[in-house]
Amino acid sequence: MNIIETKNLTKTFQRFQKEPGLKGSMKGLFKRKYLMKSAVSDFTLTVEEGEFIGLIGPNGAGKTTLIKMLTGIIAPSNGEISVAGHYPNKLENSFKRQYAVVMGQKSQLFFELSANDTFLLFKELYNIPEDEYRKNLDYFIALFGVTDILDVQVRTLSLGERMKLELIVALLHNPKILFLDEPTIGLDAVAQKQIRKFLKEVNETKGTTIILTSHYMEDIKSLCKRCVVINEGKKLFDGDTDLLFKKYQTHKKVTVSFVQEDHFTSEIDFIPLEKSPYKTTLLIKKELSQELLKDLLVRYELDDISIEEEDIGNVVERIYNDKSGVSE
Amino acid sequence: MKRNLKFILALIKMKLSHMMVFRLSFFGAFFVDGSLFLIQILTFQAIYSQVDSIGGWSRGEMIIFIGTFSMINALNMVIFFFGVITIPDKIKNGQLDHYITKPVSPLLRLTFENVNPGSIPLLFLSVGIITYGISLLEITVTPLRVIGYIILVLIMTVLWYDIELLLRIIPLFTVSAYNFSRLEDSLLDVSMKIPGVLLKGVFKLILYLVIPYGIMSTFPTQFITNTLSPGWLAYGCGIVILFTYLTGRIWKLGLKYYKSASS
Repeated sequence: MNIIETKNLTKTFQRFQKEPGLKGSMKGLFKRKYLMKSAVSDFTLTVEEGEFIGLIGPNGAGKTTLIKMLTGIIAPSNGEISVAGHYPNKLENSFKRQYAVVMGQKSQLFFELSANDTFLLFKELYNIPEDEYRKNLDYFIALFGVTDILDVQVRTLSLGERMKLELIVALLHNPKILFLDEPTIGLDAVAQKQIRKFLKEVNETKGTTIILTSHYMEDIKSLCKRCVVINEGKKLFDGDTDLLFKKYQTHKKVTVSFVQEDHFTSEIDFIPLEKSPYKTTLLIKKELSQELLKDLLVRYELDDISIEEEDIGNVVERIYNDKSGVSE
Repeated sequence: MKRNLKFILALIKMKLSHMMVFRLSFFGAFFVDGSLFLIQILTFQAIYSQVDSIGGWSRGEMIIFIGTFSMINALNMVIFFFGVITIPDKIKNGQLDHYITKPVSPLLRLTFENVNPGSIPLLFLSVGIITYGISLLEITVTPLRVIGYIILVLIMTVLWYDIELLLRIIPLFTVSAYNFSRLEDSLLDVSMKIPGVLLKGVFKLILYLVIPYGIMSTFPTQFITNTLSPGWLAYGCGIVILFTYLTGRIWKLGLKYYKSASS
């Protein structure tokens, strides 16, 4: 059963275009020029109850705008939208009880108070019965292992600890849908891993439908069977996450630091990204990465080396350039 | 209704807890607001000490006017002022998102989440001034008239809330509303010092109809001194109903226009 349905969903923003300088400012007083920007364009999407979907795309792709329309924060300019059987921007309380939204860069916690204080306010906000509140709180506290930080002033907590508490606050009322906008942004690797484990558990045990936007490929790879790639407001890919990464994440990003000044060269084919006498960053095809490593270790004295997945931007670009398309 | 009251109570508890974290600011609020009140009284005394009657109003009526303004101001400060003034920033930085996505009225939460008990002493002091004004007039005030006066003060507090809110939800439609805030400050300043009965022509039109701060303290003062005609009483109630209706409609319309802020 579909819990989210959109058809040709579009959001257009009007932007004031100001000419530079005082003259331009004065002109703008009397005659304004506006640019129309489509943040989301003809977006059709269906999500089944219990799915865990990744929404990926570069900055400004339209991910957050889409989430804001799905949660009713902003109204669509055009198209059809239904979330849990409601038109989100009608802002009905019966609809708002069915979802929760966590925005990585906007906290819902009261910074000067403890997390327990915020939990109590949310209990009243969602009118959660005492026994249900206790049960859910105990469950999430145990799952996350946050007993020690519940009575501490939120301001003094680390980013990772705060994000755990943000998620608990959001899930206290047992929402059917959880919208997560960059929940792991700025977190260290350990905290990211913990958050992922927690989300997986919530999705599997509580059957919560989760829509996740993230810049981190690892978030999407390890959590979402299905992912949707969005760029310039348009859907580029909608399908199996493994297929997406197999077909389009073809390179690895390698950063090498040298002990002494050196100029890296190699007969192996690579794409240089950054180059300085002591450091080189490059993209290399996955199948050539082992060969390159060998070459590096044999020919150079290395201070450090790191191998990462390539950026989301490259993947999107490749999908964009692939005329055949792979949407399922 | 019961749920909303329960939620308001939770917000108040939350705010008190928040204030008590900063021990100095919790007690400081009493001190700061009390000092402001005293300065206000001294200013009024300096202006009006030399005259017994302005525009037919005697000193007693003038003192009731000042006391009534202080009372409405104190109610405003205690209940909603510190919540309402945060609205433009919340619209601009996208914090309103969190209010919109929760199953209680965003306006209810914004209105009551920053109550300020520091202004409660002002209420008692205002009652003292009003009582003193009544004693100067040597009039008999029946309990029924007192009840009517209290209701009128509460209605006028709602009017202040409506206007305050209207001027602060403008950023839902435009980029900046800074100049509207300056206009509000100027009109409030005038209304605090000059009773509505002294206003004429275009000033009366502005302060009685367009931004009706002029009637807020004037009408309750006239009511308790038995000089408010039934026509003006009906007008006062009508204008509050109109502004409350308009505020509700414009707020709802504004939410449709809300663009949030990029993250």
